[in-house]
Amino acid sequence: MLTQNILKYTFTLIISLLFVLIASTAYCQTTTDTTKSDTTQQKIIKKDFGGKQICFSADIFHPVYNYLYANQTAYEFTLDYYLHKDLYIIAEGGWGSSNVDYTDLKYKTNNSFFRFGLNRSLLIKNDSNDWDMMCIGIRLAMADIKRSAASYTVIDSLWGSSPGNLPDKSFIATWLELDMGTRVQLVKCLSAGWTIRVKFLLNGKSFNDLAPSFIAGYGRGDKNAVFDVNFYISYAIRWRKETKKLEEEMH
Amino acid sequence: MINKIFSATPKNCFLLLICSIFCIFSYSCTQERQPCLTPKIASLNIESIHYTTDTGTIPIDTGLNAAIFGALSTKGLENIIYLQQSANFTISLSPVADSCKWLFATDTIGSFTDTFTFYYKRQLKFLSNACGYTYFYTLDSLHTTHYIVDSFLITNTSVTNNVNTKHLKIYIHPDY
Repeated sequence: MLTQNILKYTFTLIISLLFVLIASTAYCQTTTDTTKSDTTQQKIIKKDFGGKQICFSADIFHPVYNYLYANQTAYEFTLDYYLHKDLYIIAEGGWGSSNVDYTDLKYKTNNSFFRFGLNRSLLIKNDSNDWDMMCIGIRLAMADIKRSAASYTVIDSLWGSSPGNLPDKSFIATWLELDMGTRVQLVKCLSAGWTIRVKFLLNGKSFNDLAPSFIAGYGRGDKNAVFDVNFYISYAIRWRKETKKLEEEMH
Repeated sequence: MINKIFSATPKNCFLLLICSIFCIFSYSCTQERQPCLTPKIASLNIESIHYTTDTGTIPIDTGLNAAIFGALSTKGLENIIYLQQSANFTISLSPVADSCKWLFATDTIGSFTDTFTFYYKRQLKFLSNACGYTYFYTLDSLHTTHYIVDSFLITNTSVTNNVNTKHLKIYIHPDY
C-alpha cells in the first residue's frame, strides 16, 4: 500500500517536473535566441505591442464525456485577458454533478467551481494578428460542494451486512493546478485548443468521512492528484493600443 | 528561435482532431466503478506458538496441520479450515455486533476445541468510492477456554485492513 502510494506520487512528480522542464527549455531557447541579434530583439519588443485580447472559451470535452458517461456532468468556461509580454490572466468557472448508485454506496453531489491564475505563452508572435499560443500556466481553484444524504452497506458474507446512513453535507475543496496547452486560430476571432492539467488537492483530508466520487473542475475527489484534459472552442475580442502609448512604451 | 509550431493548417487541425478522438475514447473506456484494490474486510491476524515446557523459551514446530476456526454467527457455525500446515491464521470480527465468538481446533480429528470471545469497539471507515465503507476495530478484551490454548497475548489492539499487522499470539498448551 505504502509502496503503491510512493510510486503513484513519484510518477505524478515526474510528470509535473516534465511539464516544468519542457516549459523552461522552451523559455530558455527563446531567451538565448533573442540575444543573437538586434533584429530579433526588436521582434520580441514588437510582439508586446500587438494589441489586446479578451477571449471567451467553452470546454467541449466534458459535455461529450458526459454524454458517454451519464452518471456525472461538468461544464467549464474560461475567460482570459492578455496582459503583456506573453502573459495572460485567467478566470475559469463551471458547475457539475454526480450520481453514485452502487449496491453498497448511494449518494449525489453537485458543485460549482472557480479557478484563477496565469498563463504564459511560449511562442514568439510573428505579427500583431498572431494569437496562436502554446502555454504553461498555474491555477488556484476552489469548489463549493453539496452532498446529499448517503446510504451505505458494509457487506460481510460471514457475519452479515450492516447498512447505515450519513446526513447531507456541504464542504469546500481547494486545489492547485499546473497546466500546459495550445490554442490555434481557426478563422478570424475563432480558435480551438486543448489543455492538459495536473491537479493537486490541498485539503483532501477534509473528505475522510466520504470523499465525493467526482468534483466538477477537479475530477475524482478521493484522489489527491489527478490529470484532466480540456478541449476549447474560443471566441476572442481584439483591439489595438493607441499609437502614442505604443511609442511611449517603446522608448 | 522557436518558429511557429501551431498554425491552422489542415495537418494541424487533423492532429488536433485525432488527439480529441483519442482522449474521448480513452475516457469513455473508463469503467463505471474503479476496481477496489485494498482489502475491504479488517483482518485479525493470529500467530500460534508452541513451547515444550511452561518455562521453555525455544518453541517447537508451531505449525498446526489442519487448524479449524469456526465463526459462531447468526447463520450458524461457519468453519474456516487451513488445509496446509501453518502457524499464522486470519479471522474477521463481526461488523453487526460489539463481540463475536470463534471456535478453535488444532486439527480436524482433535476432540478438544477452545472458544475465543472477542470484545471490541467498531469504527466506521470510508475506504474509497471503489471499495465503499468497512469497519475497523479496537480490541477491548479476549476471553478463552483453555483446552488447547495455554495463554494468549494481544500484541496490537487496532484491527484494520492491514494484512501485515499481527494482533494476537496464542500459546498452545505444552502438554499438547
